[in-house]
Amino acid sequence: MNKQISSNQERYLNPYLGGVLLGLLVILTVYITGRGLGASGAVKSAVVTTSNIIAPYETQQNGYMGRFVTDNHSPMFNWLVFESLGVFLGGLLSGLLFGRVKKFRIDKGPKITNKKRLIFAVIGGILFGFGSQFGRGCTSGAALSGSATFALGGVIVMLAIFGSGYLFAYLFRKLWI
Amino acid sequence: MGPLIPNGIIPAGWDFVIAILLGIIFGFLLEASGFSSSRNLAGVFYGYNFVVLRVFFTAVIVAMTGLLYFDYLGWIDLSKIFILPTFLWPMIIGGVIMGIGFVAGGFCPGTSFTGIAIGKTDALFFTIGLYIGIYIFSLAFPLFEKFYTSGNLGNVTLTDVTGIPASWFAAAFTVIALAAFWGTMFIEKKVRKNIKEYKF
Amino acid sequence: MNRNYIFLTILMLFLAVGTIFLHKTEKLKQIEPDKLLWEIIQPTRYVSTDHVAKMIIQQDPSLEIIDVRSEKEFNNFSLPKAINIPVDSLLSETSLENFGIPGTKIVFISNDDIKADQAWVIAKRLGFDGMYVMRGGLNCWMNTIIQPVEPPEYAPLTEFATYEFRKGAKLYFTGAKTENTETKKVKVMVKRRKKTKAASGGC
Repeated sequence: MNKQISSNQERYLNPYLGGVLLGLLVILTVYITGRGLGASGAVKSAVVTTSNIIAPYETQQNGYMGRFVTDNHSPMFNWLVFESLGVFLGGLLSGLLFGRVKKFRIDKGPKITNKKRLIFAVIGGILFGFGSQFGRGCTSGAALSGSATFALGGVIVMLAIFGSGYLFAYLFRKLWI
Repeated sequence: MGPLIPNGIIPAGWDFVIAILLGIIFGFLLEASGFSSSRNLAGVFYGYNFVVLRVFFTAVIVAMTGLLYFDYLGWIDLSKIFILPTFLWPMIIGGVIMGIGFVAGGFCPGTSFTGIAIGKTDALFFTIGLYIGIYIFSLAFPLFEKFYTSGNLGNVTLTDVTGIPASWFAAAFTVIALAAFWGTMFIEKKVRKNIKEYKF
Repeated sequence: MNRNYIFLTILMLFLAVGTIFLHKTEKLKQIEPDKLLWEIIQPTRYVSTDHVAKMIIQQDPSLEIIDVRSEKEFNNFSLPKAINIPVDSLLSETSLENFGIPGTKIVFISNDDIKADQAWVIAKRLGFDGMYVMRGGLNCWMNTIIQPVEPPEYAPLTEFATYEFRKGAKLYFTGAKTENTETKKVKVMVKRRKKTKAASGGC
């Protein structure tokens, strides 16, 4: 009986242990680099890079992307891009260790179809990507690292993300429960 | 002593090697904590799984408290670290949009990378969405350029704005977080009784 | 399991609340007394008035003259491009920003060299480098640069060379004064130490 439960259950780190380790990682990152972790910045670099390849002139003229184009190196040559590559590798490592790396599959609530889940994943991504530019970072860059270093902006972003998440959760309840 | 790279103790050439190593640890911890599954992540908003709240807030209070001790012991100079600049309204609006994206998409950028790593199609689609979202933002940037830079308070900390020492904030956050941990434990138990098709 | 959590909760609470009681005595970095003593007895920390004059004339960009006399005295007479930081305000935040800029030579001056020397010792104790004291102070400046005395005939040649230089310098500092009044009023570009920060961050 016990065996059945354990096979049915994902083995995760104790959340508090994970949290403490993550907190120590933030301290280590700040200690070494003087800044925090991040993630959305890497996607931004990817956007600027691909856009710069397809339409260099328009990209450099663009008031936003133009800021990240420099002559001496590609926007991909960026701290956050390398860090995000590490995030991917680290996720893979952990997945392999705990036996969670499997063929492509979809996580979703019980009441929706795969197609609907993927559509909402893209919509969610679009909103998150859009919002992260206004917020100067996402959950890891602004909310986690920002709050940890007592930055006012970090706390604002953290409260805004979770506050709005709870506020709008009701509208999206069909997706998850 | 610290921060090591800005103080020139570690040469800047090591920057990218360190970036990958720190990223690996970050990704490992995210995945190992269960952040590679959108159902685990979205659970925080519906009360059936508070793993996000636990991991995230434990990390915040540990990092806050730890940095203060590091500062006290003279290991790190908090005046030399990067402080996220504050843009009041853009950040509030941005956060609200991100919050909607979070409940709709079930991921945030960092966790979606780990989701892809272990083969979650929804994580892949979320990341494609991120790409599109940032691209749309860039193209539409002239429309809200003014708003983007409005409410600029500079690189301020909570202490700069309120005058209250950082340690008070660390203590307050810790008290709130610990209370939330205990509170959510009971909420989770109640909610989980009604949900059957989910592997906890 | 619950007992562990209770223990951890109390531990975390203890640690976080503990930070409130960490009274960080605003300890500025200070160098060890024996190192300070060693630095004090080095004769190289003094520069001559001739040397300072030469640097001013050559418009050495690394030179930063800090005048530690009172504001009143400073307004009365000062060397070109000197910055006034009276000794009593030496430790204020804005004053300290003038120190420790890589590649600059700070020269402390006062009427004699006593006040300048005191300022030097205090700044040295805070761990700043590249600082000097003008030997003899402004009194010596007057006697050597503004009113140079011709060396006696039996003096070695080098003293004559110095005298020649001083005469030239005198012209620069006094004769040039009339035409320089305008440039003298030009606001001194004060170099300030940039706070080192990571270039960028966040997401």
